Amino acid sequence: MQVQHIMCPVCGGRIPIEHNDKVNRCEYCASPVLGSDQNRNCSRHPDRLAVEVCHVCNEMFCEEDIEYRVADYGGKLFTIVNCDKEYCVDESQWAKPLNREYQQLVNMDWADNIDNLILRVTGLGAVLMMIFELVFVLSMIYLQYFTTHSANLPMFFLPGDIVIVLSILGNLLSAILLQTALQVYIHERQLGSGIVLLIILVAEAAFLIGRGLYFNLLINPIPWLLPLLFGAFTFSVILVFIGSMMATAVGYKKHKQFRSARITLGLTAER
Amino acid sequence: MSEEAQTATIFDRPFGLRMIGLTQMTFGFLALVAFIGLVLAIVGGVPGVADLGPVYAVVLLIGVVIPCLVIGNYVDDLRRNAVVAQILYSLFSIAMAAIFLMYWGIGYEWAFPLYEISVQVAIGNLAVFIVVVEAFFALYLIVKWNEVAPPSDVYVERDRVIAKQIVTGIVPSPLTPSLISPDGETTLSDDDSRRIMDVRRVTTDEGMAVLCSNCGGATPLTKVEDDNTLVCDYCGVRLGVSSVFVPCENHPEYLAATNCDVCGEHFCRMCLTAQEPPVDKRWKGSIVHICQKCFEGRYRPAVTTTSLVLPIDQLFDKAGSRFSRVGGIYRKFLGKYSAVMRYVLEFTLRLAASVMKAGGKGNSNDGAAMVLIAVVVAVVAIPLAIGVVLLLGAIVIIPFLFYAGLVGVTIEAVKIISRTDFLSLSEAREKGIAVGAPAKTKESTLREDQRDWEYRGSRYAGERHVTETYFRRQN
Ligand SMILES: [Zn+2]
Ligand SMILES: [Zn+2]
Ligand SMILES: [Zn+2]
Ligand SMILES: [Zn+2]
Ligand SMILES: [Zn+2]
Ligand SMILES: [Zn+2]
Repeated sequence: MQVQHIMCPVCGGRIPIEHNDKVNRCEYCASPVLGSDQNRNCSRHPDRLAVEVCHVCNEMFCEEDIEYRVADYGGKLFTIVNCDKEYCVDESQWAKPLNREYQQLVNMDWADNIDNLILRVTGLGAVLMMIFELVFVLSMIYLQYFTTHSANLPMFFLPGDIVIVLSILGNLLSAILLQTALQVYIHERQLGSGIVLLIILVAEAAFLIGRGLYFNLLINPIPWLLPLLFGAFTFSVILVFIGSMMATAVGYKKHKQFRSARITLGLTAER
Repeated sequence: MSEEAQTATIFDRPFGLRMIGLTQMTFGFLALVAFIGLVLAIVGGVPGVADLGPVYAVVLLIGVVIPCLVIGNYVDDLRRNAVVAQILYSLFSIAMAAIFLMYWGIGYEWAFPLYEISVQVAIGNLAVFIVVVEAFFALYLIVKWNEVAPPSDVYVERDRVIAKQIVTGIVPSPLTPSLISPDGETTLSDDDSRRIMDVRRVTTDEGMAVLCSNCGGATPLTKVEDDNTLVCDYCGVRLGVSSVFVPCENHPEYLAATNCDVCGEHFCRMCLTAQEPPVDKRWKGSIVHICQKCFEGRYRPAVTTTSLVLPIDQLFDKAGSRFSRVGGIYRKFLGKYSAVMRYVLEFTLRLAASVMKAGGKGNSNDGAAMVLIAVVVAVVAIPLAIGVVLLLGAIVIIPFLFYAGLVGVTIEAVKIISRTDFLSLSEAREKGIAVGAPAKTKESTLREDQRDWEYRGSRYAGERHVTETYFRRQN
């Protein structure tokens, strides 16, 4: 029977059957599918099920006959697979062999659950801080231009100049806080970002309380504004604080794991 | 393929349609200026407009300003209704202008009172102009109907980023956003699609299953035919079978569809997302498949491409580029202005000289001095005033852009924290079928590719390589 259209099981694209005894690639996404007469076993060990397709010769192999390499395509690192035939190895020389041992030693799946929690706690705190700063700007502008409190707000040349400049600085600080809070999710950066997060948090808190006093918010005309702002601020500070403490603790564990992996494989001079 | 017949993009619009949209917008804008002038005249109590002025203003607003701006805005987006509206409006304005010409004739002029002076407006000529232009528009739209008004079942992608992806072939699936019938080409009716989507299962009792890329149903691997293909139990399309019989890393009950391009592990359609290919001469593919772990970019050392980066520099870049663009406009203006001013200065000097010569004595020197002062004021004051206006505009625009950027970043961060920014291939397909349009797979601005590799831009850049066969060939 002549099959006219085979749909790619990955993307639904059209697959032209060029080889009956070899892997065919989807025209669209390059995913491999079996040729119509093709055996599913390793081409060198006919009794074993194949697990990979060589990217050079497109033949199927078992785990024993292949090597993995990391290749750079325009700054994106991809894993490619080649079999151990001389030609295929030669053709793959440009890519760097993947260091499987190191990869196994620095496997950090154990931290998945706690990392998810840390990301959510710090991330939520940082997002709230960001929203808080945005609301803070708006309420300060409101106080400056629409209420009698404007007399209590500092200025250099024009009414509101100090308020706006300091508020933009506050927005920037909270953006940096958010940036750092997201980094706790990346294994290598967790320890560093946990510590930096603590420092930024202290700076942000000091800067905000300083601004509040400088803007004379203690005597502002809206009675509920100060408790609301302070409550929201405290809540996000607590979240970020807890998250950064956890990130520092877990990150330190990972740091030790990275170090011992490098020492085990002789990748570093220290011991 | 049938895809092109089903999905059009904003880039498919003909040039003429774009010009019609722009012209209508210009008409609307000019009418808006006239309307504002009229209102100011009424408010200012200019004699001659007090009685009929308000009527003219309302007619101008409802008859010209609003329809021209609204229709002009939508007509060039390949919208059927807007094209119909434009044709009707063109006919309407031709009729109005024709009636006007019948009663008042082509030579009619209207003296528009502008404070002390009055401006002569050749309304008759304007009416002729309107008849010609609108008749041309209506004719064009009717003649080019098939190009400017896609049928209602064709989806038009207007988001430029996605449209670009469709044009260059970067969408998670080349399938139409509806179910395909067993022949693999035609689309199923909505009823049939709904029936299949309702009954289709994503688990089987008979061991490992293949997830259909068309409907998402799970067909057991035991049904693979001798030619290594499989007919989906639910929608009937003939699927190829993935080359290696390895289960998905996360779902042992499904056959892996393909590898994650980053870590190389095997995954099913529920665990992979599609991303734009890298910009690299050696990469000819249209799609990159990435698993959730690699998408999240947690392992930097060996395999990661992405990392979480807040585009603070971009926020400033955007603001800064607006500033420099305003600066550029100003610089251009100054160039043109000074070029014109040279002639003006020359002319004035001659004028001043002639004033001096003609007068000969006494106050004629004062007259020359006055002319010179006036010119100097014009030379200095006009650019200064325009500069101040531009600067004020920039000062208003830039914080606005900056804060819009901050809000956007916050929204992206919320998506990352709630893990909703990962859109799997199967989710994308199902969303596409539910909405009848390709699911949006915009890559988050916060997840930028980050890492340089030592080979980057060095001896291998631009070299073609055999390993390319692993990746998609451009047809
Ligand atoms: Zn495909
Ligand atoms: Zn090979
Ligand atoms: Zn083998
Ligand atoms: Zn199906
Ligand atoms: Zn992966
Ligand atoms: Zn899976």
